[in-house]
Amino acid sequence: MDTGNMKWLTAVRIIGIGLLVCGVFLGVGAKTAEAALLEGFLDGFEETLGENAAAKGERVTIGNFYQAERPDSHAPIGVMQDHTHNKGEFMFSYRFMYMYMDQMRNGTHNLSANDVLKDFAVTPKNMTTQMHMFSAMYGLNDTVTLMAMLPYILKNMEHQNRAGVNFTTNSSGFGDAKLAALWRLYAFETPSIGSHRFHLNTGVSLPTGDINPTDNTPLGNNSLLPYPMRLGSGTVDLLPGLTYTGVRNDVSWGFQALGTVRLGHNSQGYKEGNRYQLNSWGAYRWAKWISTSARFNWQQWYNIKRKDGQLQTTVGPMNIPLVPTADPDRQAGKRLDLMGGVNILFPEFMGLENHLSVEAGAPIYQDLDGPQLKQSYSFWVGWQMVM
Amino acid sequence: MKHRIRILWVIIGLAIIAGPSMIHAYEVGEVQKGGTIQGHVTFLGSPPVPVQFKVDKNPEVCGQERSLMKVEVQNGFLTGAIVVLDGVEKGKPFPPQTLAGAAPGEGTFQHQGGESLGLQVHTKGCNFGPFTGVVVADQPIQFENQDSIKHILHTFVAKGQKGSILRTIHNRDIQPDHEMHLTMSSGKLKDSRMVRFACNRHDFMENWLYVVKNPYFAITDEKGQFVIDNIPPGHYTLRAWHPMLGLQEQEVQVTPGKALDTDFGFSG
Repeated sequence: MDTGNMKWLTAVRIIGIGLLVCGVFLGVGAKTAEAALLEGFLDGFEETLGENAAAKGERVTIGNFYQAERPDSHAPIGVMQDHTHNKGEFMFSYRFMYMYMDQMRNGTHNLSANDVLKDFAVTPKNMTTQMHMFSAMYGLNDTVTLMAMLPYILKNMEHQNRAGVNFTTNSSGFGDAKLAALWRLYAFETPSIGSHRFHLNTGVSLPTGDINPTDNTPLGNNSLLPYPMRLGSGTVDLLPGLTYTGVRNDVSWGFQALGTVRLGHNSQGYKEGNRYQLNSWGAYRWAKWISTSARFNWQQWYNIKRKDGQLQTTVGPMNIPLVPTADPDRQAGKRLDLMGGVNILFPEFMGLENHLSVEAGAPIYQDLDGPQLKQSYSFWVGWQMVM
Repeated sequence: MKHRIRILWVIIGLAIIAGPSMIHAYEVGEVQKGGTIQGHVTFLGSPPVPVQFKVDKNPEVCGQERSLMKVEVQNGFLTGAIVVLDGVEKGKPFPPQTLAGAAPGEGTFQHQGGESLGLQVHTKGCNFGPFTGVVVADQPIQFENQDSIKHILHTFVAKGQKGSILRTIHNRDIQPDHEMHLTMSSGKLKDSRMVRFACNRHDFMENWLYVVKNPYFAITDEKGQFVIDNIPPGHYTLRAWHPMLGLQEQEVQVTPGKALDTDFGFSG
């Protein structure tokens, strides 16, 4: 089969899987539209809560999942899929993310360029990633909130070779599109213990991002760029997760576990490693329009399985390893970021609720199967409009 | 044999689907020599003081300050108590009536009446309607927002005599000058008979409704008085309910063409 037919076949597969996933989400969601999934299964728990609340002259409220009109009704902007919407509500979001990486690291030790160049012909020096993320959420019913995300990514990496020559490679384009369904599990609240909400994250990432980016390098024009410069995984990935959020008076908090589980190998013959992340945040509402937040983000990701057979990995008659970014066994790592953020809620305008949020931070720990570039800092700016 | 099993499954399926609605459906029909139950609902003690609210959202429509009187008592008589006669399965039609909310709000609960209650909630002046009212399960309720601002209607089914557990039924935006139709489904209500309306944007908008199964109900007036008439003779359970005070009940025997006097007394 020629390359043209392969691409068509891949496109048809992607669309087919997308339609199938959407169909499952919509179909199952429509059937269980009446309430959160665990409602009706926790009567004993509710009775106990009710008795305790009544003793304090309070009431227990079950099933209030979305509290609009608070700046911290949405998590810090770097957290995705953090809240669900009421039936018929629509939210459009635009996020801009900037991440800067510099200096090579192996494990928890920093390496100089010369350290890397002892073993490799080329070393990365720094890298910037910019992402424009467009997303939409829709409250399909009282159980399911649908979400779609499409990123546009720009990557830039500076290198140095053994001859001391610097060069830069770039890649840009749409990344992997993501479709998600957020399933309301359970929510309860009383004035004294605050509100506690749980939802399940399910989703799928579709391989719309380019895994064959090319640029001019000292090796030649239109050279295939290594793994970190690619815009997608090339595989259909599952995105399972669980989210908990809480609010009491002017304080809010949350915890989220999300995974990216790769299915199969991509058309280049490799499979990116799975990725898991834990988010934990707290926010304080200083006024009805502003809140600030602190967030810990733990991420762990794994090495690439197999390899891209078309990617040049050695150079010269001595087969010197070309660059660490082309080695599938030097991609894994784990990192803990500390982020600080601000959420601002604007006065309602024409029935629209507008949130403007920023968040910035840096790793406080990173352990890389290097040599790899370590992250230096990142920041997010986002605008969310609820209709 | 297979054919018979299929027919049996069809019958079982139809019974499952139609059964619940057939068992509880109220039927309008002629009442001969109907009886009447009348009386008063009294309150002993000091009623709670009205809750005061400083309005921070949409004061131009809602006013700068609002108060919510949750227990309204005049000269020892309780206003707004719901008195319900349970067990009547056939009788008079639902009466048309309009029940107004407390000033300065101008919201009303309007009952179209007839075969069904036909509840219409006209929201005006940041007020859904009177603090207490009635609703029928599985019948559409028309919510009409006559205000120039958005309200977020949050409806709950309440469990416990005083509604200590509130479970969300709907949580919906009602845009200015718009209307929507919602139903308090029996699947959501289960065995509960209490429904609460609230607005997520305006704390003082709060209403409690009792789930009635027939038109034999009354809401006590400012003299604490209630009258339920045209009742088919028989033995029934009479209930008096107030969302802040709880539920009382007594067994009553309605005799043809006669009036039965009976009172309820709450205390606080």
